[in-house]
Amino acid sequence: MHRAEARPGMRRLRLPLALLSAAVLAGCASVEPGSALGQVQALTKTHTGQTVAIDRSPEDLARTSRQVEELLGQPLSMDGAVQIALLNNRGLQARLQQLGISEAEVQQASRLPNPGFSFGRMKKGDEIELERGLHLNLARLLTLPLLSRLEERRLQSVQRELAMDVLSLAADTRKAWVQAVAAEESLRYMRQVQDAAEASAELARRLQQAGNFNALMRLREQGFYADAALGLARAEQAQRAARERLTRLLGLWGEQLNFRLPERLPDLPQAPKDQPDIERQAIAQRLDVQAARLAAEQTAKNLQLTRVTRFISVFELGLVHNTSNEGPRQTGWELGLELPLFDWGSARTAKAEGIYMQALHQAAAVAINARSEVREAYGNYRASYDIARHHRDEIVPLKKRISEEQLLRYNGMLIGVFELLADARSQIASVNASIEALRDFWLAQADLDMALIGRASLSAPTAAAAPAAEAAGGH
Amino acid sequence: MFKRRFFLGTAGALGAAASVSKVAMAALPEPVLQAKPDTMPPLEPPNGRPYRPVLTLNGWTLPWRMNQGVKEFHLVAEPVVREMAPGFKAHLWGYNGQSPGPTIEVVEGDRVRIFVTNKLGELTSIHWHGQRLPNGMDGVTGLNQPGIPPGKTFVYEFVARRPGTFMYHPHADEMVQMAMGMMGFWVTHPKGKHPLIDEVDRDICFLLNAYDIDPGSATPKIMTMTDFNLWSWNSRIFPGIDPLVVGFKDKVRIRIGNLTMTNHPIHLHGHEFQVTGTDGGPTPKSTRRYDITEDVPVGAMRQLEFLADEEGDWAFHCHKSHHTMNAMGHDVPTLIGVDHTGVASKIRKLIPDYMVMGERGMKDMTEMDMPLPENTAPMMAGQGPFGAVGMGGMFSVVKVRKGQKKGDYSDPGWYQHPPGTVAYEFKGSLPEPTRAKDPGVGSMPRVQQPKTDVEVTVRKPGASGHSHH
Repeated sequence: MHRAEARPGMRRLRLPLALLSAAVLAGCASVEPGSALGQVQALTKTHTGQTVAIDRSPEDLARTSRQVEELLGQPLSMDGAVQIALLNNRGLQARLQQLGISEAEVQQASRLPNPGFSFGRMKKGDEIELERGLHLNLARLLTLPLLSRLEERRLQSVQRELAMDVLSLAADTRKAWVQAVAAEESLRYMRQVQDAAEASAELARRLQQAGNFNALMRLREQGFYADAALGLARAEQAQRAARERLTRLLGLWGEQLNFRLPERLPDLPQAPKDQPDIERQAIAQRLDVQAARLAAEQTAKNLQLTRVTRFISVFELGLVHNTSNEGPRQTGWELGLELPLFDWGSARTAKAEGIYMQALHQAAAVAINARSEVREAYGNYRASYDIARHHRDEIVPLKKRISEEQLLRYNGMLIGVFELLADARSQIASVNASIEALRDFWLAQADLDMALIGRASLSAPTAAAAPAAEAAGGH
Repeated sequence: MFKRRFFLGTAGALGAAASVSKVAMAALPEPVLQAKPDTMPPLEPPNGRPYRPVLTLNGWTLPWRMNQGVKEFHLVAEPVVREMAPGFKAHLWGYNGQSPGPTIEVVEGDRVRIFVTNKLGELTSIHWHGQRLPNGMDGVTGLNQPGIPPGKTFVYEFVARRPGTFMYHPHADEMVQMAMGMMGFWVTHPKGKHPLIDEVDRDICFLLNAYDIDPGSATPKIMTMTDFNLWSWNSRIFPGIDPLVVGFKDKVRIRIGNLTMTNHPIHLHGHEFQVTGTDGGPTPKSTRRYDITEDVPVGAMRQLEFLADEEGDWAFHCHKSHHTMNAMGHDVPTLIGVDHTGVASKIRKLIPDYMVMGERGMKDMTEMDMPLPENTAPMMAGQGPFGAVGMGGMFSVVKVRKGQKKGDYSDPGWYQHPPGTVAYEFKGSLPEPTRAKDPGVGSMPRVQQPKTDVEVTVRKPGASGHSHH
């Protein structure tokens, strides 16, 4: 602020100025750099089990990459994958920088506005008028506490958004991990199916060579082999794609691409969690519901703001110091005022009211969607548990027993080796279907966990694949 | 001997007369039930006209009650459990505890009264195959009599007019009831000396029957028309068929009745026989021919007689080679001559208990003891003195022994061969054998020559799907 010499005119202004600056400084909220992250960490720690960090310096980057190397040393578990994603995903890091930016904006909002200085030189004949003025945006000054609170609230909403981002990333990583592990397991089984079909086809070829088979019978067996090879190719494609999706979320590249995944998906839990009051839990916990509620509050505060400044849109307080070479110095102050002759501010109020109602409806929509999402996710979770357990406990053991009975019949020379191999293929397909059911359960689990804390991208339940066609066998 | 079943209920008998009221049964002869599938000794007649009784292979003869000169028999038609071979039991329908039913032996001119109690769930009746009797006793349901309702007892009464060998079987829902094993033998001995019926030292009878039992199950499939998989003599399959034990230089008569749905060429090793009778009666001597294989048509009976003058264990079987095997798969591909190297280990990675079979033929099956579906007879079995015999189905052995006592049908063990009379391995060097090169050109060339030479591999007839056995 430009300190004028202690002229008599100025002395009158000293007290108000001092009071003003005190008021301003009092309304200035102090935001320490880096404290915004603490809120994000607090919101996410319970759900991810780890503290999110922002990488700003080369030391941070080095430390992160060391941690990632350590985690990649063993086969990657689901929690390990989430850890790496939160450490290493560059997109998340980019968004986390927004915290720093928002913090800076808050600080900026709490600073006093820049004064304006005007200088003019007018010549009227021999009279030269020099005009010097110091302007300060009073409206801005008066509304400084309100504005800084506004920015704080914006920072809080940024924090919540970022927390949602972190949690979404964690949920997506879990789902991608499940898909990748399941795809690798499926691939192994499809290889077995292909081996069975290959053995059949090879035997059929030798039988045709020896004259025991005709061309049609050999071509049929070869057809099964071709189909199995196709299945294998698709499984390989799916496995590669799933792995890449996981790699993207983990932010890995170069040598890190050779990370190992566990051989099998985690087993089904003993019993599904029975959560009858899941909707209430969701409404209490979900970040997007809280955010919508706070957004409505913020909009309300904005509304007051608008009401307050209804009649004052531009309020300028300026110090004017005019000098003229002929007359005594003229000092005084100028007040700019927009007189709302034609704009009483009612349109702006109506607009604010409209914005507030919008925020209200938005909050209601978010709450309703949240409840429905949670219900859907919970229903999915229970159903996929039952399906996976049915596969594990009924279908797979049944097919295994059928295979055992078929082997006994083969021993009694009641069926031939081709029926036996066809049955083996169908048994392996049933194991594959059970892996897929288990994968769907873990995906539903991840979706449910996400739906309890934020907006989840629920996948529609996939229709069951047609059961493997049984090869026509003998009596 | 047979077991009498007292009302106090001694052990062993199956499906007894308990469900039929005692009052109604008071006039009936007690039903005699048989619990074992073994060959029972012949039943010497305790009363009535004397005769030389027959031996029923893996069966027995029904005792009677003499009631004022009338021989009264009691047949109970009921579900039974019959052991067809050791380790394999079938759920069949039969008479008096076993399938087939007991042999009924009478003498020409005897009055017989047969009480037939029906313990099945449906109507039944008995037709006396080949006998001359009043039309109303012939047993065709609906035509000659109303069927015997479940739980009721009907009486058949007639005079055994003709000497000969006959059978009896149901004539209500015939296909099902015979597919389930209901049938029996009937022998009418001649009054005295008969010019065409010789006296013999050993007289053995059995019926041919066939079942379609899925391996692992026990009840025959009743809708099968021709695709049976178990071929049996008196509902027994080799190695469960008892041997026919005869003495050296005995005159032997074998009576065979065919109640399967196809013919059987029955073949005897080591001897020639004469066909001396059919169900029409004994054949005139001028028409008797010598043979070693006699084809027994469906629904017919053949009587073979021979002199057992060659010592040893002689195979006696149906010459349709698939009738000397137990249940087998029909669509199993031929693996003969196919090299399995590399493929077998690949298959074993998926199916750890897999074993290559049939690469060199089927005989290996008999050497290996592999787990089978439960209640299933192995396809080829039987342990002989020189190793596995590898047979099943309609196969037995005629054991001719010096010093086998009259009336003694017990198994004398394996034949002790005189030294130098057993085929042995030649250990010297082999000359190059002469081989036939050309099968000939045929009587005339084809009109259309094939583009390429077709090499045909021979498959056994009836090996695919639905052709007859």
